[in-house]
Amino acid sequence: MSKSRTPSITPWLFLAPFLVTFAVFTIYPLSQSFVLSFQQTFGPRSTVPVGFENFRYLFTDPLFWIALKNTTLFTLGSLCVQLPLSLGLALLLNRPELKGRSLFRLIFFAPSLVGLVFVGMIFSLIFEKRTGLLNVVIHSIIPQFPLEFPWLQNYVMLALIIAALWLYVGFNMIYFLAALQNVPGELVESAGIDGAGPWDRFVHVTLPHIMPVAGFVVLLSILGSFQLFELPFVLLGGSGPENRGLTLVMYLYNTGFVTGDLGYASAIGWVLALILASVAIVQRRISRKGEE
Amino acid sequence: MKRFSPALLVIYPLLIFFSIVTLVPFAWMLCAAFKSNADFFNSLFLPQGSGFLGIAWDRLTLANFSKLFGELGMMRATMNSVFLASTTALLGTIGGAMGGYALAKFEFRGRKWMTRLILGAMVIPGPLLMAPGYQLMFNLGLLDTYAGMLLPAIAPAFGIFLFRQSILNSVPMDLIEAARIDGAGEIRIFATMVLPIVRPMIGAFLMITFLGTWNNFIGPQILFQSPEKFPLSVAINSLKGVYSQDYGMLMAGTLVSIAPILVLFLMLQKEFIAGLTAGSVKG
Amino acid sequence: MLDWLRNFSLGVWALIGLALVSSVYLVTRPTASSSDHAFWVFARLHFQAYEPFIREWNEKTPEMRIEPLLVSLPAMERRLFSGFMSGTPMADLFEITQNVTARLISGPAEDIGLRDLTDLLKAEGLLDAINPPSFSPWTLRGRIYGLPHDVHPVLLTYRSDLVEAAGIDVNEIETWEDFVRVMWPLQRTGGAGGEDRYLLNMWQTNSELLPVLMLQAGGGFFDANLRPVLDSEVNAMVMATIATWCTGPKRIAIDAPEFSASGNALKIRGQVVAAIMPDWLAGVWKTDIPGLSGKLKLMPLPAWTKGGRRTSVMGGTMMGFNKKVSEEVFREQWKFAQFLYRSPALAAEMFRRSMIIPPDRNLWSLPVFDEPDPYFSGQPAGRLFIEQAPDVPLRVSSPFFNGANEQSGQALLRLVEYANANGVYTVEGLLPKSRELLAEAQAQLKRQMERNVFMREAQ
Repeated sequence: MSKSRTPSITPWLFLAPFLVTFAVFTIYPLSQSFVLSFQQTFGPRSTVPVGFENFRYLFTDPLFWIALKNTTLFTLGSLCVQLPLSLGLALLLNRPELKGRSLFRLIFFAPSLVGLVFVGMIFSLIFEKRTGLLNVVIHSIIPQFPLEFPWLQNYVMLALIIAALWLYVGFNMIYFLAALQNVPGELVESAGIDGAGPWDRFVHVTLPHIMPVAGFVVLLSILGSFQLFELPFVLLGGSGPENRGLTLVMYLYNTGFVTGDLGYASAIGWVLALILASVAIVQRRISRKGEE
Repeated sequence: MKRFSPALLVIYPLLIFFSIVTLVPFAWMLCAAFKSNADFFNSLFLPQGSGFLGIAWDRLTLANFSKLFGELGMMRATMNSVFLASTTALLGTIGGAMGGYALAKFEFRGRKWMTRLILGAMVIPGPLLMAPGYQLMFNLGLLDTYAGMLLPAIAPAFGIFLFRQSILNSVPMDLIEAARIDGAGEIRIFATMVLPIVRPMIGAFLMITFLGTWNNFIGPQILFQSPEKFPLSVAINSLKGVYSQDYGMLMAGTLVSIAPILVLFLMLQKEFIAGLTAGSVKG
Repeated sequence: MLDWLRNFSLGVWALIGLALVSSVYLVTRPTASSSDHAFWVFARLHFQAYEPFIREWNEKTPEMRIEPLLVSLPAMERRLFSGFMSGTPMADLFEITQNVTARLISGPAEDIGLRDLTDLLKAEGLLDAINPPSFSPWTLRGRIYGLPHDVHPVLLTYRSDLVEAAGIDVNEIETWEDFVRVMWPLQRTGGAGGEDRYLLNMWQTNSELLPVLMLQAGGGFFDANLRPVLDSEVNAMVMATIATWCTGPKRIAIDAPEFSASGNALKIRGQVVAAIMPDWLAGVWKTDIPGLSGKLKLMPLPAWTKGGRRTSVMGGTMMGFNKKVSEEVFREQWKFAQFLYRSPALAAEMFRRSMIIPPDRNLWSLPVFDEPDPYFSGQPAGRLFIEQAPDVPLRVSSPFFNGANEQSGQALLRLVEYANANGVYTVEGLLPKSRELLAEAQAQLKRQMERNVFMREAQ
């Protein structure tokens, strides 16, 4: 127990800015949106309480499930592709004898400095059929690859994963770089002297040491991926053909601000928040177990 | 010790390959910003022509930029962005550091719940708050004011979380204890002992917040009514017309938007990276 | 103290410096106080064209200064919603599109925040002066809530250089069937190497053109009572026909999207023979594809049946008035609207900049519309659009338009997939499946609509 004479109100004073702004700008609107989720609004001025109707409809709403499926696919795909790539890049860069490290670091990190809106704009042109950069380049390397490959019409998820890849690999790489730098070099070396090959060294020495960071990065990635909205919105100009690019937050936005049903939109938002909370809890449990 | 390892022979080409892949969209945007609209659809990067390297250098134009700053008053928008981003960054960092310190170095009832609250706050999806938030701003008279953007950002949950991690990991409890026993006031302890130690995190969070605010566009678009208050992100986005797209100008605007961030990042690079990682290493 | 200050890096000081400098900048340039009456405009083009006229108005009528503000359409929609719903600040006048209006005029009449203009329009004879179909998207239950900005008739543009070189006479084309038959010699299918050529700019993912063509044929999404009629026979026929354009041995369609580099490249390279063109699109092509100047001509849309309608409609903007504004102020603002929308000088200017024709019939005799247009090989493009203006189909504005568009777009996609999977490529062959898919789309849409408590009340 602390022996200091600090009055117990002090921590609360330090937390005061947060508490005040949180209460006013988050709790209050949140409670309002909670109320809204039990109502139906339509266009201006019309609000009617409908009990659990919104939630009941949600479970049979095909668009909601499409959005959920798309968002989950995107999250999983991103995780499986981005994280190994970030880790790989970090491993490549994690050599003291490598010249130009900061330059490479800067280059890989640069995409995350660009706003999502601009990324959407740039990539919508890159993914175009026939004249888009991607198709042109791939076609020149592999002539069998059709120039008309319809990224933004039939392979929407893939296109989104690629765009997100460009954006975030560098960001995650930084985390992994730091984690790698905390791995005691002697441990790795001694393992090497003991006869362990590079792969074994990686799996048995390096990997366990970077687990906490990996967990953190995974959590951030999941939370971010689940809230994907602006990227497909700008890239596809909406949800794409057959709603292949519809994500949960996009559905929320469309329902609330395009169709005008703020009640249903709030219901969707709450379901999303619940999903995110569960994921976060599960991830914390897993990573805590892993640390033991 | 610098030794030439054969692995480097494989690593360098790989890195260079990935760098090129990463930089290509930037290069493309750079070229697009200097092309006229007609040329935009004609050539992938630089317009073909009879100049040096087969490129029509004379068709490159600064018209997009002069239009941006002359006709469209981007200077004001840029200043708006600078003001909002820097002020939000400073306020958010102070608030975050304060909150993080409280959670890290004080034993008090409700600490566990506060920490859980902070974590919970991080998963609230923004769009959920958009509509009631707008309403609230109106009721508070904060609509179309800079204060309306700044006040909610004073103590962000993510900041408190990061600073808590950072302070927990790098500030030794004995140091604080000793100071407390010596009778030092909390503010003194905070300012003279804690802050200097978490300097990397300060740099990192400043950068993160600056970046986030700079690129934020849904929030300002909803809150601000008068065009003179629009930050760069909103101003550029409003260049997208319903009846036509001026791609050259859009890309020039994007370039203008990215440049300051790049410069700031170069300045804060070391701390940014150090601070970011300090918050994540011990989960 | 100095030691403590040194703890903070260069970056921190840079930020503090930036914050100070920018605050000073902003403080010394205070924003104009908005005592003027705000006029929200979303289209940059309109905004720029209006400026001199608004300035003129403000000079002549300083007691009713109008302040134009460029607000993006989504932001404007949010603000109007919020303004009507909760009284947050709103403009007095605003230009909005059909979709936004649809959402604002749904629900009971007392709740509509837009001013009802019907009686005024009647009294001032505007119901005759303005092209009647232009009122349709802003009309609900016989009451008109907006002043139309445009007509947006639709023509077909085609590569006159290619067509005439092949000896094809477009006067032989009366229906879409004729179009496919007569233009067939120009069709070159196969190969993505850039030598292929297709007759029409269309694709199964282009759901925007679907309602355009359906309306032309006499179909559409909703009837006059706002009830969904997706599964009408006419719609099924149109959809089946479009499917045969997009796939199969008689494929004539190519995906050359507007506002895209690849789409424009295809057009420039001569791989697209014809495209469906509303007036505003002509303006876009002129700006974005100057290389096609002199190679294009305009003609009325091929009809669906002999003697059928040869035009359609795509898009639409109106000016709305905030109901809450006092009667006096509104009178003045109404004068302003007349000044703006019925000004011959502005109409000519808008046309020159964007090819958009005004809905005011009195303005149709302006000489600017008869000027030979070099882009369209010397044709009087304005006159050609105006000729079709009276025939423009009526539309209703349902807040469920987006949902209907989505469902029908999906139906089209599935129809094309079905065609490919089963090798059925004729209209008669696809008609049953087309009906079935549209019936499904209708059912889905109805489900969405029925869950809406307000729609039930309104009926």
